[in-house]
Amino acid sequence: MAKIPELKSHHIWAFCLILYLIPVVVPVGSPFQISEITLKIYNIIENLPEGSIIVMGGSGVFAFDYEPGAAMIASIKQMAKNKLRLVGIPLGMESLQLHKYVVDTAKVMQADGGPWKYGVDYVQLPFIPGGDAALVRLLTSVQSVVTVDANGTPLENLPLMKDFRSYKDITLWICPHWGYPSIVRYVTGERGVPSVMFAHAYSYTVYAPYMMIYPDKVWMTNGFLGGAQYEKLVGFKGLGHAAVDSYTLISVAYVFFVVLGNITLLTRVKKEEEEAEAKK
Amino acid sequence: MSSSIIYVRTYLTRILLIIGCIATLTSWYFVSPHADIVANELYNWNVNIGTFSLFVGVVTLFSRYLKDISSRKEQWEYKFLGVVLIPIWVIMGQTAGVFSDLYQKAYFNTKITLHVAILGQLMFFMISGAYRTYRIRNFRTLLFASCTLIIVVCNASWLMTPFPIADKISYWLLNNPSMAGYRAMMITGAIGAVVMGIRILLGLERGALRATEAR
Repeated sequence: MAKIPELKSHHIWAFCLILYLIPVVVPVGSPFQISEITLKIYNIIENLPEGSIIVMGGSGVFAFDYEPGAAMIASIKQMAKNKLRLVGIPLGMESLQLHKYVVDTAKVMQADGGPWKYGVDYVQLPFIPGGDAALVRLLTSVQSVVTVDANGTPLENLPLMKDFRSYKDITLWICPHWGYPSIVRYVTGERGVPSVMFAHAYSYTVYAPYMMIYPDKVWMTNGFLGGAQYEKLVGFKGLGHAAVDSYTLISVAYVFFVVLGNITLLTRVKKEEEEAEAKK
Repeated sequence: MSSSIIYVRTYLTRILLIIGCIATLTSWYFVSPHADIVANELYNWNVNIGTFSLFVGVVTLFSRYLKDISSRKEQWEYKFLGVVLIPIWVIMGQTAGVFSDLYQKAYFNTKITLHVAILGQLMFFMISGAYRTYRIRNFRTLLFASCTLIIVVCNASWLMTPFPIADKISYWLLNNPSMAGYRAMMITGAIGAVVMGIRILLGLERGALRATEAR
């Protein structure tokens, strides 16, 4: 049996680049099903009473959190449609920028032709340093930790913040960030507020057991795929749909290269055995 | 700094850490308004120290970069870029505001776009690494490769669509074998951290709380 040559890194690199480019040029439109958990999250938000306060908060790095952003954008559209209210609580340095990005992209503010009015339906708090300590204080008393919003407006001038004083006013906490363990620990575990994580594909594999630890209190979507599922439920094609084609192709490539690596190994072993036989 | 000042600083810090530990642990396990007051006060300190450390971080980074640039140390060019960019971002944040459209546009079109591009490349490294390392030579590599492949395949939409059970298989794997191992690591790590904490407090480890290093 002939030996299969070892592939060099730049061959694999070129192959991956082509795979990334294919959906840009020709959208494949990969089919996907909506998972039970994504559907459950959608239904929970759908059935919240009008005016409920949802918090979007946590800490993480924007570029990582771009992936959960897909589902977050879709859920913000759903919240606006159902007249729910949203407060952004950035506990990480870049979280504020992600919050602005997802709200701007969802186009739900009145300036973008949407139904939300700033201060009434949506408030964005500034970055709150201090990690878990800040989170615990904030849950006890929001106004004891922050007194102004991200624009510098005093919180007492914002109607929404008059109804949001502590964790008791939160109906649901949504975390589109990496730092979910703090949210599960202090928001859900200690105070019983249900939480949703729009997870990255990787963080889903790490944090998925939280759903088993807190059944009917914690739910998670799975990466860009979860984002695409949520977009499908809300009824539009956004970041998730754009990414899911590359996601599908690359996951096929992953399996292909592992199989190819093993075939290469097999042919080498066979060849060495044949050479050893010939020497005898 | 004289060694007596270092001793005073070290023991004061130790006492503060012990008060913090006891207050936090007491407020966690018992209902005690007094412990809650101490814990809350310490939480507030923590928030303020967190804010202050950001400021100190920027100043320290800036002064260190300036020193390295003046002595033309390795990679001084990048540090020069940092020294130019840090004030620009600080001034922009202070004048336009970090929540403004201008700041957002600048941030998204520079840092975020580049960072997302770098993360996109991770897939190439993972595929290239998988191609070379997941070669089944013995039972252990078989186990290693098959576990990874099962998770990849069960999370892939091309398999989940015709076989919805794949989602449940992946969920079961994550909730059982994966969680067992992960928890074992977390628990041992936590025990290690407690032991390390006690050793640091007792001055048995090298570091800021080992007063004998002043000698």
